[in-house]
Amino acid sequence: MEPILSVSHLEKVYGSRGNRTTALSDLSFDVLPGEFVGIMGASGSGKTTLLNCVSTIDAPTSGSITVDGTDVTALRGAALSRFRRERLGFIFQDCNLLDTLTGFENIALSLTILGTPAGAIDARVTEAAALLGLERVLDRYPYQMSGGEQQRVAAARAIITHPALVLADEPTGALDSKAAGQLLRQLSALNQTGGATILMVTHDAFTASWCRRILFIKDGGLYRELLRGEQDRRSFFSRILEVVSTLGGDGADVL
Amino acid sequence: MFSKLALRNVTRSLKDYSVYFLTLTFGVSIFYVFNSLESQWCMQMLAKSAHYMVESILIFMNVFSAFVSVVLACLILYANTFLMKRRKRELGTYFLLGLPTARVSLLLFLETLLIGLAALVTGILLGILLSQCLGLLTIAMFSAYPSGEAFGLVLSGKAVGKTALYFGVIFLLVMVFTGLSASRARLIDLMQSGRRNEEMRERPLWRSVLTFLAGVALLLAAYAMLLLRGLLYIDPLFFLMLALGTLGTLLFFRSLSGFLLRVVKSRKKLYYKGLNMFVLRQFNSRIHTTYLSMTVICLLLLLAIGITACCVGLNNTIEQSTASAAPYDLTIQNYSGDTVRVDISTRLTEAGFDTDALLEDSLDFLLYYNDPVLTGFSDEEANAAVSLRDYNALMAMQGKAPLAAAALPALSREPVLTGYGAFTGLAVVSDETTARLSPRRQVFAANYRGDKQAAEDALNAAYASPDFHTEETSFHLGTRIGVYMENMGSKILVLFMGLYLGMVFLLTAAAVLALQQLSQAADNAPRYRILARLGAPEKMRRRSVFTQVFLAFFLPLALAVVHAAVGMTAANAVIAQVGRVDSAASSAVTACFILVIYGAYFLATYCGSKRILRENG
Repeated sequence: MEPILSVSHLEKVYGSRGNRTTALSDLSFDVLPGEFVGIMGASGSGKTTLLNCVSTIDAPTSGSITVDGTDVTALRGAALSRFRRERLGFIFQDCNLLDTLTGFENIALSLTILGTPAGAIDARVTEAAALLGLERVLDRYPYQMSGGEQQRVAAARAIITHPALVLADEPTGALDSKAAGQLLRQLSALNQTGGATILMVTHDAFTASWCRRILFIKDGGLYRELLRGEQDRRSFFSRILEVVSTLGGDGADVL
Repeated sequence: MFSKLALRNVTRSLKDYSVYFLTLTFGVSIFYVFNSLESQWCMQMLAKSAHYMVESILIFMNVFSAFVSVVLACLILYANTFLMKRRKRELGTYFLLGLPTARVSLLLFLETLLIGLAALVTGILLGILLSQCLGLLTIAMFSAYPSGEAFGLVLSGKAVGKTALYFGVIFLLVMVFTGLSASRARLIDLMQSGRRNEEMRERPLWRSVLTFLAGVALLLAAYAMLLLRGLLYIDPLFFLMLALGTLGTLLFFRSLSGFLLRVVKSRKKLYYKGLNMFVLRQFNSRIHTTYLSMTVICLLLLLAIGITACCVGLNNTIEQSTASAAPYDLTIQNYSGDTVRVDISTRLTEAGFDTDALLEDSLDFLLYYNDPVLTGFSDEEANAAVSLRDYNALMAMQGKAPLAAAALPALSREPVLTGYGAFTGLAVVSDETTARLSPRRQVFAANYRGDKQAAEDALNAAYASPDFHTEETSFHLGTRIGVYMENMGSKILVLFMGLYLGMVFLLTAAAVLALQQLSQAADNAPRYRILARLGAPEKMRRRSVFTQVFLAFFLPLALAVVHAAVGMTAANAVIAQVGRVDSAASSAVTACFILVIYGAYFLATYCGSKRILRENG
């Protein structure tokens, strides 16, 4: 199967001559269609830089990122905008929804930007809202919703355009555990029944345990890879914790 | 290092806060133009024959300048407060780094000084150019009697001094205010200025529709009152009309966005197109905080349009009145003509004015007291009488048709005197009847031959010589050029006053609007960042910014133009008795000023708002 996301020899260096910080060095991995991949790492490990590069918000120093056959590092201007709205879906920790639009309109916005015919919009928004259990909040403004509802509206907005790849940056970061669980269950359902490919960045082991595969990043490079396989979520969670404990700080110093 | 920091801040300010600089520059240049009138060529030309007009124009301009400087001071203070609000975080950083309050105040002080100096220089340079434009406009309005003198760019040292003084005081005020606000600010407030609480309220449909309808109804009622009653009757009903109009405007702006939103929402094709939904919601979310300022701006614009248009228009009315007030190049009235007759023509020649060489035609005639018994006209209808022979000779000099003897006695309203002393009506009677009337005044009417200005100068010299006057005679000289200059004086007074006030009001409205839009643009930056992430192309986002700025500028202007159009119709009805407001010319001039000032602010605001798109890729 052709990978939907292919990252190869990615390198990102900040700063100029004499004062260089390497955020990512020689990072390579593939994501296949229908996967739910988590990316974990301590703060400063480069996971946000990675997500910014994949989401075309930032440009890598070298290496290539291919999404669905398109090399995104070569895209500029209008083509870049076009790629974003047609191939990518975003769920961010904050700044997600437009506060002046209702839930319905926030979801519909992705479609109107795409230029979807007006007649088709109502039906598609209703469908996506049903998938995430949002029927009751469609007429509310973001400030009238709970944090979990806001994130689910953002998720609905991200998947409604049927993107090749959904990128989630700490989607549960601002949620309590109950709302986080609900959001993750629904993301997982989107992945399993809706066939959406999801790449999620998180530092939280509980959140990561919903993924099918986890990539651990340390000092800008791939540190370990963990496959859930046939395990249940609880044992997967404890395996994640094991890796995380070796991830933060330098274990060699302690032992 | 310190002044370097100030200089760097200012150069950045010039770029970032172009609206502030624009306001200062326009303010300075308008102020300069109307205070440098004294040395303008048209004023100097006017000063030759109507000196007292020049003085009154200058006095009026001084009074208005005091008023205008207060308005501008308030505006500049407002703009500066706004600027400081935008820089709270930066100031907070200075305090956080441990810069003493006095130094921060000094920094702001230096910045204001630098910006003020830059604006003063630019404004005065622009003002010199603008006063040239004003000169050209004045030339265009005086079709007759073109000045043969060449006129070039004039720099009035006095006006520069006055402008520098007034604005120096304003800048000093601004410096004191900013220094005070910086020294009293609390660090925590400065650092947390980015956080804001905003409440969104959506009004039910029926309410915005009702409010909209009520607003339109009030406006229509005010319009109807205005058109039926006219402009002139100032009584309680007049103020009721003003109140209705203002309230109607207020309700209109309050409900407009909700109404618009509902209308567009019901048309899904339009609502779901590109960012239309976002723009409308954005507009609607702001209207609750901006409808008040939109109303004020609309009324300011109305004042600006109304004053400018009416004054420019009225000018053409005055122009027409010159013809009726000056039928001949000159008339000399002998007020003691009832007792002493003088051969005016001979006397003029003796005094050095060769009537044979310098006059094309002339007539020496008598005006009589009206006697209702003999003429058949009451004193209200005619307060003077003239013989048919003299009357027909006078008409022949004007190139008008003579009166037949059969039509006597007749009442004529044709002007026969140049300058002061016009009659309400003139009873034309047969030559025999005049023998029984008592003489009132001896009049000498004449037209120049050849170069009118040279003849006028010669006449004035002769008239001023002691040879012409004797103890028993009392003369009054009226000349067409004199009347023209007098009219021109009042024309210029009206025109300049209108332009001055109109431009200042326009400047105020545009500047306030621009500042509000820029602050909204800053608040909108995160929203546009989301749109960029969702993949809305830059063109689409740019159009959205444009629509938002355009709506904010266009809506108050559109309503103000409608208001002004109705107002001008009413004004026309009043002025129609005297003449007619030349709507084409006045609309053109008004449109030009609005285009330049309002357009400049619109562009500056749009460019400033557009910058928020570039900040986030």
